[in-house]
Amino acid sequence: MRRTAALFLALVLTLAWAGQVQAKDIVLGVPLPLTGAQAKFGEIIKKSYEIAQEEINAKGGVKGDKLVLKFEDSQGKPEIARSIVEKLIDVDKQPVIFAEYTSACAKAVAAVAEERKTPYLVVASAADEITQQNYKYVFRLNPSNAYYASGLLGFMAGVVKPKSIAILYESSDFGTSGAEEMAKSAEKAGMKVLLKEKYEKGAVDFKPILSKVKAARPDVIYMVSYVMDAALLMRQIKELRVDAGLFAGGAAGFAIPEFVDNAKDAAEYVVTATLWSPQVPFAGAKEYFETYKAKYGSEPSYHGALAYSSLYVIADALSRAKSMKQDDIRDALKATDMTTAFGPVKFLDKDGYQNQNFMETLVLQVIGGKHQTIWPEKYASAKYVFPIPKWRDRK
Amino acid sequence: MWVQLEVFLQTLISGVLLGGLYALIGLGMTLILGVMKIINLTHGQLMMVAMYVAYWLFTLFHIDPYVSLLIAPPLLFLLGMFLQKTLINPVLRVESILPHNQVILTVGIGMVLQNMATIFFTSDYKSTPVDYATDAWYLSDYWKDAPFELSLSYPWTVSFLLAVGITTALWFFLAKTDTGKSIRATAQDRDAAALMGVNVGLMRVITFGLGSALVAAAGCLFIPIYYLFPALGSQFTLIAFVITILGGLGSTMGAILGGLILGIFESMTATYVGMGWAPVGRFAIFVAALVFLPGGVASLLKRKAVTK
Repeated sequence: MRRTAALFLALVLTLAWAGQVQAKDIVLGVPLPLTGAQAKFGEIIKKSYEIAQEEINAKGGVKGDKLVLKFEDSQGKPEIARSIVEKLIDVDKQPVIFAEYTSACAKAVAAVAEERKTPYLVVASAADEITQQNYKYVFRLNPSNAYYASGLLGFMAGVVKPKSIAILYESSDFGTSGAEEMAKSAEKAGMKVLLKEKYEKGAVDFKPILSKVKAARPDVIYMVSYVMDAALLMRQIKELRVDAGLFAGGAAGFAIPEFVDNAKDAAEYVVTATLWSPQVPFAGAKEYFETYKAKYGSEPSYHGALAYSSLYVIADALSRAKSMKQDDIRDALKATDMTTAFGPVKFLDKDGYQNQNFMETLVLQVIGGKHQTIWPEKYASAKYVFPIPKWRDRK
Repeated sequence: MWVQLEVFLQTLISGVLLGGLYALIGLGMTLILGVMKIINLTHGQLMMVAMYVAYWLFTLFHIDPYVSLLIAPPLLFLLGMFLQKTLINPVLRVESILPHNQVILTVGIGMVLQNMATIFFTSDYKSTPVDYATDAWYLSDYWKDAPFELSLSYPWTVSFLLAVGITTALWFFLAKTDTGKSIRATAQDRDAAALMGVNVGLMRVITFGLGSALVAAAGCLFIPIYYLFPALGSQFTLIAFVITILGGLGSTMGAILGGLILGIFESMTATYVGMGWAPVGRFAIFVAALVFLPGGVASLLKRKAVTK
């Protein structure tokens, strides 16, 4: 009896030891803005990574190894993001980098990654030049700023048919490049750009600039802002009764539920470009949305869906890579051809971009206090409302 | 022509409303500077703390931010007194190489407050979505055939009027009450005041509390029209600082005028130069005040009084 017990114990110990040796963890450091002004998005991205991590590990991880993510706070500051990534590559010898949120940080990280010949997968940073610099090791999952508004432009060309546009934007990398691209596309589409004004983040009072917009009477008011500025802008637009054929937001702030919570009735009928919505027909999209909502009690935005999908892309590349060497992972990433919850992923060199994933973008409209997908019509979850009523005629 | 007039008047209205709130933010800092000769660089962070108080009162008990004017400023008054008594007073007493280490201390307190807010409340944006957030009065509702449309936001106007009320109350307090007079005496000449039997130490503690309460009131007036996050403080510390300099260090009347000037100037810059230039305008006026009007608006007021 005692011998059986001893044997059994020995067996358990051996198994435990063997288990430890076999399943090496793949530890990956992830720089994200977890404090500071961009922390809201950092948080969404982090939670989504965690969901993906759990799912991937439950399915056996990467070639049987567990993925372990280690989050590091970059505070949304490029210099901190830079030093985190330098440490990850030089000290921790991490063979692949992903994450960061703001374009300014992503640019800094991309430069480090390229210099150290380490593949870097950009998630959610939209400034165009990140994938326009002949970088061989920088990949981007989301369409860049120039393509953000493609769905919105389609909606405008097909339904709104505007003649003039006013553009308001935040003076960040993201805001500036979004506004530039919109101005270019609008002119190409035959619209007149009446106003193109930037503002400093954290501005309190937009009314001076909005009364100028009101005097210019544009058909479309296009705004590139983060969430709280977006809500303030719409509230003050309602206050001044600035009427336009269409109030359009360039993703980021306008596409998340907090926008509607804060702008309240002023948010109604606002359309926004976005990259993803839970209504898209890709496998796993709805499941991810439900899991996130059940787990954290809030709704994820496209940033989350991107992060969630990007970990799958990384896991896929790691399991196909010949070794854990940087160049092998790069080759594996380059050969990626898969469909994620975010949509099909393929890194192409096209139109001056390198390693860029191109895809269709969506348009949402706030209808009855909820974001609904309205464009392209094949993905629509509700019929768009156009023309929109004037402020004076609303209740 | 009407359109241009409409833009101008609307900008002026925005500027005055913004200036009124700015004045209230600047007042507290001016008061502290006048009495203690300390630039309180934790001013904006104190406002942030008050805004969190108002936010939680709203979220947990549905207390309107305007009603929390009765709760947050008294709390901040206590916090201010506590900070002065336990942290700033001891540093004032220490002889050191740096003559201004009280100023550095206030920066430190500000950092502690901000990072504590980040730990406790995360850096998520918060706001109090009040029902009247987007209500406004319109000129055309009262004057049917108005050639142009002007609007007056409901929360902005209420905040402005309350700011004026609080400022008046402060003036009354400083001018008419014994404590107020003692505070002014301390501000004018600390040693003489002490000789006249004013408890200078106590006045300092009260002043810091009062300054904190004032900026707390500004926070309560701000949250219905703005939003809240832990790093918000430094931005408003800066604004308060500019107003204090513009107003002429330590002058209450100067701070009020300074706030109004800054608000109108910023709004005008936003409309006629570009919104991105508003912060440039803010610092241009700051530098100009230092170079051309070192005594601030207050020196103009005084000069006039002398010649009269």
